[in-house]
Amino acid sequence: MSTNKIEIKHLSVDYTERGKRFNALHDVSFGVGAGEFVSVIGASGCGKSTLLSVLEGIYQAADGSVEIDGHALHGTGRERGVVFQHYSLFPWMTTRSNIAFGLKQVRHDINRRERLKIADEFLGKVGLEGFGKKYPSQLSGGMQQRAAIARALAMDTEILLMDEPFSAIDAKNRVNLQELLLSLWEGDSPAKRKTVVFVTHDIDEAILLSDKIVVLTAHPGTVNEIVPVPFARPRKRDELVKTEEYGKFRNRLLSLLYHDVGERIGGEEVII
Amino acid sequence: MTWKKRFLRVTHLLFLILLLVQLLPDRSAKDVHTGALIAFAVGLEAAALIGSFLIKKAESLSLLLDIAGFIFVLLTVWSLATAKFNILNDVLFPAPGKVLAQFAEDREKILINIRSSLGITLQGFLLAAVAAIPLGLFLGWNARLGGAATYISKFFSSIPPIVYIPYGIALLPTFRSVSVFVIFLATFWPVFAGTMSGVMHVDQRIIDSAKVLNVRKPEMLFSVILPAALPQIFLGCNQGLSVSFILLTSAEMIGARDGMGYYVKYYSDFGDYTRTITGLLVIGIVVIAVTFLFNQLQHYLLRWKK
Repeated sequence: MSTNKIEIKHLSVDYTERGKRFNALHDVSFGVGAGEFVSVIGASGCGKSTLLSVLEGIYQAADGSVEIDGHALHGTGRERGVVFQHYSLFPWMTTRSNIAFGLKQVRHDINRRERLKIADEFLGKVGLEGFGKKYPSQLSGGMQQRAAIARALAMDTEILLMDEPFSAIDAKNRVNLQELLLSLWEGDSPAKRKTVVFVTHDIDEAILLSDKIVVLTAHPGTVNEIVPVPFARPRKRDELVKTEEYGKFRNRLLSLLYHDVGERIGGEEVII
Repeated sequence: MTWKKRFLRVTHLLFLILLLVQLLPDRSAKDVHTGALIAFAVGLEAAALIGSFLIKKAESLSLLLDIAGFIFVLLTVWSLATAKFNILNDVLFPAPGKVLAQFAEDREKILINIRSSLGITLQGFLLAAVAAIPLGLFLGWNARLGGAATYISKFFSSIPPIVYIPYGIALLPTFRSVSVFVIFLATFWPVFAGTMSGVMHVDQRIIDSAKVLNVRKPEMLFSVILPAALPQIFLGCNQGLSVSFILLTSAEMIGARDGMGYYVKYYSDFGDYTRTITGLLVIGIVVIAVTFLFNQLQHYLLRWKK
């Protein structure tokens, strides 16, 4: 019996593009403990988003398995909440209706008025008080992602899957959103924290947020290394980035990320 | 808006020109009803002035004033070409005042005809929408059938619906039911095709978003796919609506006992061109009014779009 919340075993994923089959992920295995925050990083095309699609249940694995609480994963599930990079929210619903709509899918015991009340409460938590009646198109990208996070949190799923949620946001707002997510997640007591799988290509984002970082290598996507993040919580970005350990740790991740790039270029005897 | 921007508009100058032109002597031997023209122009100018006081949005006010200005210019030219200089044949081209007076005289008859025309259009259009939207949703969502249905709807929508009229007359009991049937067919295919194409082109990211929320099938169709496809559905409805009007008028000219098409056809057969032109103008205004209302509905239902 594994104690992990999510157990990924020998996962391989193929995808077809213009009639050709590609091996997007090959023999990927790692576990995510209950209440653990795990980031998956890798260069573009390494299959990190494909991996998350499998966890979401909208993409089928060719081989291997994913288990949640020891049960094999089949399709989407109510124990998983998802935040995408784009279109997490439905553009024709106001932000509070979006949250209420998400709640409706997981909780049948409460009526619409109660759902909207919860929606407003969570909009407040992500700093969007008073924006409940706005449509997504009337909000900035950063505010849309806040609302998407509010919906995922309001649904109160045990697992949170986040697919590059802050990648399309400008640098300043991205930092704000990272800190918001960090404070909301760390705000729960360790026993009640959500299990998070967070896909990103931003190393600093991964270090700030995660307990553990899974570094993927591309073509096909395989696990290069699984690196525990050694920094104590609660974390403060300003203090953390100034330390020497942070710089060293960041360099180590960078070399893991680009090690295969160098190897491939070297293999072709190209001199930079 | 400043006082100047609000009230110093070219429309008011055009109104004054129209009035001044009326001081010229009439050359036409026929009765030109200059009084009716002036009454109408004053009424329109009054509406423009009231609008200038009340309307807050600069674009809306400009729209109103531009339309009023256009009507003043049209009436001025029309009046010059008919009543004042008698350039056009005064049997075929009545003076504007005469048409306006005719409209006032026939208003009850016209109202009955408008009601009949609108009733038929609405009935055919609504029946088509009620049938086409759910069917398009279902077939568009069903990937395998959707491909075939696209070509089938292309085939049927390429047939001019007017060819159905003889079949309608042969099969259906009343002229009214024939008209409803033809408008139904004319509207059904564009709305159906629009709905299907809307459903088939819903952004995959939106569908994924709904899937990970574990949305159940009926809710997926009506709370996610339907609103996502709504812009395209409206495109189809707009197309259907404009075809409906053209068809209805043509159909009424063939065999109806009332309706605006009948009004125009009936009086042109008698050589009553004043009533013919009155009828044509009324048809135009009704089409504009219905289009405006429909656009308002569309604007409201798609208010979430940028």
